[in-house]
Amino acid sequence: MLRVPKFLLKGLHRLQKGPGYTYKELLVWYCNNTNTHGPKRIICEGPKKKAMWFVITLLFAGLVCWQWAVFIQTYLSWEVSVSLSMGFRTMDFPAVTICNSSPFQYSKVKHLLKDLDELMEALLDRILAPEISHTNTTRTLNLTIWNHTPLVLIDERDPHHPVVLDLFQSSHNDSSPAPGSACTAQECKVAMRLCSFNGTLCTFRNFTSATQAVTEWYILQATNIFSQVRRQQLVELGYPGERMILACLFGTEPCSYRNFTSIFYPDYGNCYIFNWGMMEKALPSTNPGAEFGLKLILDIGQEDYVPFLASTAGARLMLHEQKTYPFIREEGIYAMAGTETSIGVMVDRLQRKGEPYSPCTMNGSDVAIQNLYNNFTTTYSIQACLHSCFQDHMIRNCSCGHYLYPLPPGKKYCNNQDFPDWAHCYLKLQVSVAQRETCISMCKESCNDTQYKMTLSMADWPSEASEDWIFHVLSQERDQSTNITLSRKGIVKLNIYFQEFNYRTIEESPANNIVWLLSNLGGQFGFWMGGSVLCLIEFGEIIIDFVWITIIKMVAFCKSLRRRRAQAPYTGPPPTVAELVEAHTNFGFQPDTANHSAHTEAYSDQQTLPIPGTPPPNYDSLRLQPLDTIESDSEGEAI
Amino acid sequence: MAPGEKIKAKIRKNLPVRGPQAPTIKDLMQWYCLNTNTHGCRRIVVSRGRLRRLLWILFTLTAVALILWQCALLVISFYTVSVSIKVHFRKLDFPAVTICNMNPYKRSAVGYLLADLDKETNSALESLYGFSEAKPRERRETRSRSSAWEGTTPRFLNLIPLLVFNKDEKGKARDFFTGRKRKISGNIIHKASNVMHVQDSKKLVGFQLCSNDTSDCATYTFSSGLNAIQEWYKLHYMNIMAQVPLEKKVNMSYSAEELLVTCFFDGVSCDARNFTLFHHPMYGNCYTFNNQENATTLSTSMGGSEYGLQVILYINENEYNPYLVSSTGAKVLIHQQDEYPFIEDVGTEIETAMSTSIGMHLTESFRLSEPYSQCTEDGSDVPVTNIYNAAYSLQICLYSCFQTKMVETCGCAQYSQPLPPAANYCNYQQHPNWMYCYYQLYQAFVQEKLGCQSVCRETCSFKEWTLTTSLAQWPSEVSEKWLLNVLTWDQGQQINTKLNKTDLAKLLIFYKDLNQRSIVESPANSIEMLLSNFGGQLGLWMSCSVVCVIEIIEVFFIDSLSIIARHQWQKAKEWWARRQAPSSPEVHPRQRGQDNPALDIDDDLPTFTSAMRLPPGPGAQVPGTPPPRYNTLRLERAFSTQLTDTQLPSEP
Repeated sequence: MLRVPKFLLKGLHRLQKGPGYTYKELLVWYCNNTNTHGPKRIICEGPKKKAMWFVITLLFAGLVCWQWAVFIQTYLSWEVSVSLSMGFRTMDFPAVTICNSSPFQYSKVKHLLKDLDELMEALLDRILAPEISHTNTTRTLNLTIWNHTPLVLIDERDPHHPVVLDLFQSSHNDSSPAPGSACTAQECKVAMRLCSFNGTLCTFRNFTSATQAVTEWYILQATNIFSQVRRQQLVELGYPGERMILACLFGTEPCSYRNFTSIFYPDYGNCYIFNWGMMEKALPSTNPGAEFGLKLILDIGQEDYVPFLASTAGARLMLHEQKTYPFIREEGIYAMAGTETSIGVMVDRLQRKGEPYSPCTMNGSDVAIQNLYNNFTTTYSIQACLHSCFQDHMIRNCSCGHYLYPLPPGKKYCNNQDFPDWAHCYLKLQVSVAQRETCISMCKESCNDTQYKMTLSMADWPSEASEDWIFHVLSQERDQSTNITLSRKGIVKLNIYFQEFNYRTIEESPANNIVWLLSNLGGQFGFWMGGSVLCLIEFGEIIIDFVWITIIKMVAFCKSLRRRRAQAPYTGPPPTVAELVEAHTNFGFQPDTANHSAHTEAYSDQQTLPIPGTPPPNYDSLRLQPLDTIESDSEGEAI
Repeated sequence: MAPGEKIKAKIRKNLPVRGPQAPTIKDLMQWYCLNTNTHGCRRIVVSRGRLRRLLWILFTLTAVALILWQCALLVISFYTVSVSIKVHFRKLDFPAVTICNMNPYKRSAVGYLLADLDKETNSALESLYGFSEAKPRERRETRSRSSAWEGTTPRFLNLIPLLVFNKDEKGKARDFFTGRKRKISGNIIHKASNVMHVQDSKKLVGFQLCSNDTSDCATYTFSSGLNAIQEWYKLHYMNIMAQVPLEKKVNMSYSAEELLVTCFFDGVSCDARNFTLFHHPMYGNCYTFNNQENATTLSTSMGGSEYGLQVILYINENEYNPYLVSSTGAKVLIHQQDEYPFIEDVGTEIETAMSTSIGMHLTESFRLSEPYSQCTEDGSDVPVTNIYNAAYSLQICLYSCFQTKMVETCGCAQYSQPLPPAANYCNYQQHPNWMYCYYQLYQAFVQEKLGCQSVCRETCSFKEWTLTTSLAQWPSEVSEKWLLNVLTWDQGQQINTKLNKTDLAKLLIFYKDLNQRSIVESPANSIEMLLSNFGGQLGLWMSCSVVCVIEIIEVFFIDSLSIIARHQWQKAKEWWARRQAPSSPEVHPRQRGQDNPALDIDDDLPTFTSAMRLPPGPGAQVPGTPPPRYNTLRLERAFSTQLTDTQLPSEP
């Protein structure tokens, strides 16, 4: 029974075999033998210097800890450093998307917009020349569209009691003066009445100018009409590629409208993408300069524009990366008819590291919003995410999707018949800041961001001298007619080419890597204390020794306590000095003392006799404080 | 082994001789080299042979030199910056947009002020180029008056005569008005002739500016009469306008309602109330959208043209002043809210009958100020007072500097810049020779002789909007009819005639995307980095640390000095003792312990030393064996033992 703890303690003793058996011995030994620079000086100096060195060592240790904390913090902030490179290299030519400002050909879309256009014309007449009675023409108008979202005139001549006049309601209440009779733009404002819940809850959308009011109103109504038409049919109403793209030359290679991929973009009708890279490999461009770029001649057919929908005439154009969806309404530029527009391109690419360095997403898989542009098999972009987010909100709030954005499966586009409240709902959502902010916070940027920096320049084209033959040739090619079917108002020439410096890449790399961290930690430790990792290990060893000593002391204390409790009635003799010395220095003595209790009990009868054990007095007298260390030292060697 | 002996040995082992107790500097050095933590020193002492020792001294010194050099490099390169480029996608503040009509004042309003000047310009053109006023539009009555003007003396041409120079006759010029030739004194300055090589043409047109006493004159010639006449006209125009009070000028210019036909921002209608007036001396009334004066700064949370600013501007070409402005359109400047719009220097011109769409990308740059670079945070540390009511910028500083110099030199302020306190704009009446002064000063300014360019510093942070401008035809053929009608109705009271499409310009300003690029400079080094680099260097070459540095200071300065001081003190004492009692040479100052409080006073020391050095004489035994505690405390003895141990090999 007793052997087990004894054996255990012996084993522990073996294992410990430390440099000392008291804290002091241990400390002195450590200070004397460590490679760290400060502690050594503490023990081998006079009392004053000892104190000074002690303070210095503590101070430096504190400094090292603080600096380490700073470095680790810096490392964990995941900073990045950027490297910039620029120059010319063979690069994939950007994808070029071309649209017409007018989404449809008016000649083809006329039958759909007939009612709306008549209404619009009557409306303009009402606003501009209110004196002339239009009662007879009003009869023929299809007022169902009008009654859904009418435009009203708010007469603000009396600022406290604004009078609201429906522009087409004069027939109903004859008592009121004809709307806008003596009204000018400064006094009367045109507003749009938007109603929901079967016309019970109405709000007015105010405009400061009639131009905006009628334009917005017309766009809203046209959206309603087009959303009821199937996509396939809409594609046929737009400008076909062979009519729009007259000539195409890429470098020295001829190309034609067949090299363009057609997509339907609701804002601009049919758009054509060159070099999208969906089916075939992207075309590289190996030389800078206009000669090696893309040259296009387009006909925008301005005379066939939808008059109320497209007030700006020109081609819409955008450069983007391969396999990305062109958000041409946001990022496109115009090219003017009758001019040659030269576009020098520089690719400005930013490559980021992603988490944890910067909050961006590599492919959009970790974004909470379903990407509706996935149908086009395009890659993730933040614009796609924002638009998907808007459509998502639209479906949640208005239970129908907006015509401009793709539909999630199983949903329908908004129109007046099925969703009578949609206009009110949509316009509220459109100006809602909260909606946008949620979308911005939910969408993440993609890590690889490519921008095409363009330098635009323009010149008149064709020149007066060459106009005749150019038009002849192009008309002949397109329409096989000898007459000129083109005009200056519709023809656009585009040159898109790489500039002399065609790329600028900003690439992120971690500013602080683990090597950086280690070398700085080492530098700090070395600078203040001349220490290294081995010193840390030494320190750890000492800590373990400390723990050992504590355990041993605790054990001894417990034992002595138990023994004292057992011996309480006897008040045994005080331990001799020699015993104490032995106990102090020799661990091997401890189990003996543990045994001692048993031992003493064995001859407890003898205990009563005061044995005059005379230990040599000089031992005691020489047990000076500093000698502790020495003895322990030699003793340690002995063990 | 006797217990006493054991303890003695232990003491000797564990209490080595301490540095300061070393008797001589040599001993101290020995002790230091043996006990220091830096590598290298020890090798010097321990090495055998002179060559090796020399080599080790050399190595150690090289290492020290390398450390010093590397650390110096580290300190020198401390103030370097690293640049990081970050991209954020977020809600962006919309910039302030200042829109001006190219024509500063309506001709109908300002006509009476400029009538005389126009008349004289007409006649000058007529006599110079034989050009008779062909434009019948509005100047018919002016023309008729100008023919009747022969008798009166021309005011403007007398002040600054327009001259025609003939290359053949140097130094002669023909005053076109009087027709007589006049001698040109003073220097002839070909405008910009020192920059460009001007093709020598037969006829040069220019004007002469003289200071008060006509002896000092400068003549400015231009390669084209067009430039000469415009410059000449502008001088007079500034002169006239300088005398008109501000309110009157504001009234003569366009009102916001007139200039802006429609306005649309972020899907919501806006109107003239969203624009603040800003009167520019050369461009008349300009209007700033999204100025901070209108409550809070607007921001955009969507990219694309629909969510930006869309305005249709009314540019009334009929009201243009023919000699003042020669191009039609508007000027637009995108700037920060607190920035002053220098519309004449920067700015995008907008064509009429066009839709100009300006897509923006925002780039923010932050630089570090002193001591990293010369830039200034807010201009408070630049010794030029900002006369503009706007935040500091380099441009503002340069103009302020020039204007201040102008007031100092010429006594009056230049018209196109704001007034410094207690100064007036220049005009003929009060400052007859200001033009000459101005031209001279301007020349000096351009040639950087005024010191403005060296005093002014650029700002540390700025926002920059890179613009992509594209044009499209507007209104389109088919929509032209109805659009112009509605716009005419919108403009309502402002004009009575039907709008023409060449009077209108459409402008779209929007963020292409909400990516904000920030280019941020940050310190490449911190104090922690510097210290750890020091530590790396010290450790690499010598395995040294700050503790070693402290040791060096301790040993080389404090201890050596104390040893030297002790020696000196002993010498002085010796000398004094010899003086006092030259008869007693017995009192030999071998008692080192006296000076060193750390040493135990030991009277027997000399005896003991001698006892150890020499074999003890038979008579010496008599005083008894020395007590063992002497031995333990005989530090010096222990030291010398140690010394001889190490010294032995080297000492022959």
